[in-house]
Amino acid sequence: MTEVRLDGLTKIYSGHKPAVDAISLTIPSGQFVSLLGPSGCGKTTTLKMLAGFEDVSSGAITFDGQDVVRVPAEDRDIGMVFQNYALFPHMTVFQNLAFGLEMRKIGKAEIKRRVQATLEMVQLDHLADRYPAQLSGGQQQRVAIGRALVIEPRILLLDEPLANLDAKLREEMRVFIRALQKRVGITTVYVTHDQAEAMTMSDLVVVMFDGTIAQAGAPSEIYEQPRSATVAGFVGQVNLIPAVVEAHRPDHVDTPFGEIPLPFPAQPGAKVTLVLRPEAVDLHRADAGQGVPAKVISLQYSGAIVDYVLEFADGTRMDVKTIPRHRVMVGDEVRLSVDPSRFWMLDGEG
Amino acid sequence: MRQRTAILLLLPAAILLTVFLAVPYVTVITSAFRTPGEGTPFGEGYTLGNFGRIFSQWYYIGQALNTMLIGAITTLVTLLIALPVAFQLARPKLFLRGLAYGIVLSPLLVGIVIRSYGWTILLGNNGVINRTLRDWGLIDHPLPLMYNTLGIIIALTHVFLPFMILPIMSAVQGIDPSVPAAARSLGAKRFTVIRRVLLPLAMPGIQSGCILVFVLSLSSYVTPALIGGFRVKTTAVTVVDAMLDTFQWPFGAALALTLAVVGGGTVLIFARLTRIKWKT
Repeated sequence: MTEVRLDGLTKIYSGHKPAVDAISLTIPSGQFVSLLGPSGCGKTTTLKMLAGFEDVSSGAITFDGQDVVRVPAEDRDIGMVFQNYALFPHMTVFQNLAFGLEMRKIGKAEIKRRVQATLEMVQLDHLADRYPAQLSGGQQQRVAIGRALVIEPRILLLDEPLANLDAKLREEMRVFIRALQKRVGITTVYVTHDQAEAMTMSDLVVVMFDGTIAQAGAPSEIYEQPRSATVAGFVGQVNLIPAVVEAHRPDHVDTPFGEIPLPFPAQPGAKVTLVLRPEAVDLHRADAGQGVPAKVISLQYSGAIVDYVLEFADGTRMDVKTIPRHRVMVGDEVRLSVDPSRFWMLDGEG
Repeated sequence: MRQRTAILLLLPAAILLTVFLAVPYVTVITSAFRTPGEGTPFGEGYTLGNFGRIFSQWYYIGQALNTMLIGAITTLVTLLIALPVAFQLARPKLFLRGLAYGIVLSPLLVGIVIRSYGWTILLGNNGVINRTLRDWGLIDHPLPLMYNTLGIIIALTHVFLPFMILPIMSAVQGIDPSVPAAARSLGAKRFTVIRRVLLPLAMPGIQSGCILVFVLSLSSYVTPALIGGFRVKTTAVTVVDAMLDTFQWPFGAALALTLAVVGGGTVLIFARLTRIKWKT
């Protein structure tokens, strides 16, 4: 169990703007943290600095208060899972797992016992004598995880480990990795560009853009209370509604499609942006007595859920996602209502 | 239909190989078992006498052993020189890559005769090396660098180095850089990464490079002939002597066949010992 702290961590490749720009972050012991962001946001560079594969330009990395910036990768006691697994192709599954233990000069019998136990944990004990090339992608993935965990490292680092798997297997591995992490209780840093992966697996999601941390928080916090329109848009579909806080009633805002009560008061007269998730909107029939009228411009039917694009009288549009209760066709008039508590508000114009 | 097209397309290559490769081989093999003639290439009937002559005279056995030794040492020396070069050339961010490749391939750009003559200028008793050492007062008598096994090995190593470097380089380039990184994260020091991960993964290239250089060394003629002169003869040189100078076709063929079988057997044993069980 190790607490990891990044303090002003910076990486500058000469002649470029910082790849990682003075980020600070505390990862509590035993937590599962995702670094989430588009490619080039610095998440992988951050992971490489944690692993010791990339030199730190400035700032500190500490494990339980101990500065590791100058500790070489081989002495950091880290379990690393690579995107393409990076298994040793010339070693059997057993030998792959035994490698890290051999480096730690552990006795043969003990190696055998620990490798066996880990293979059982990743459900591969029946494939111990196979070579990596004889395994499926999902099995190779589990060898990579087993190889990283068998050395009982201080922290576990995963670099987009599910990127090369098909959709169904990816779902399975998500659950598998998270359950394993909880069981072992190891501090884990997970790099991904897939927001669904980060949301479902993590205790803490760190959203990164342009080498800086845009927001760090629990998945629900990132989703429901984003700190910027960019964060809001990166972790899911979102409607950004420009609004003005009413002068006489600071707990209400004016929007193009009506007046909306806020769950909290704001600066009277201020320009704000309302953040509204498409699934927070309730859709009613045109003849319902309540709600703002709108017209269905297009819809995408996917069984359990339907995605609509609606247009208000003033021409502004809104995405709505609902479980369909009644049949609505393109061109139909509908009415919308939103529970005021489902709105989130950003200062200014997003 | 498609299969017939495939056969038709293969036909020219098949005919070419049969006429210009298989037929000469068969001729050499059959010649080895024929009797020598008086004034003609072959006499009446077949015999094992040609082989008897080889294996009953220490001269030929010793010469074959020396040829094998030259091949083995040349292979080992080229391997030791090639390994670091190949690993450097395989680096993704190589400075002046084109120039580096050019230097590695340069021995192949000059004809083998010229190259070997170049070595005689360097290695001879009055050659550049000996004269320089004498001028500096480091030696009184010239070092024996030519007309011996050492000179042949030096020249062959230079000539065949690219055949060792290139396959190893291509094997090393095939190694995913995250594999050695994974080894480091598991606690392996630099040297351990090389010994336990990089070298085993370069093994397919090492294996083919060794086989290439060994076979080329055994069969090389020009370099041993020029550097070895009359004093050290390899089996290949003796084969050519028998064929061209003394007009003993059956004996030359038998000698050539012996060398091919012994060399081929050695390669098979080597390949067996270094068998690669994994694939990428």
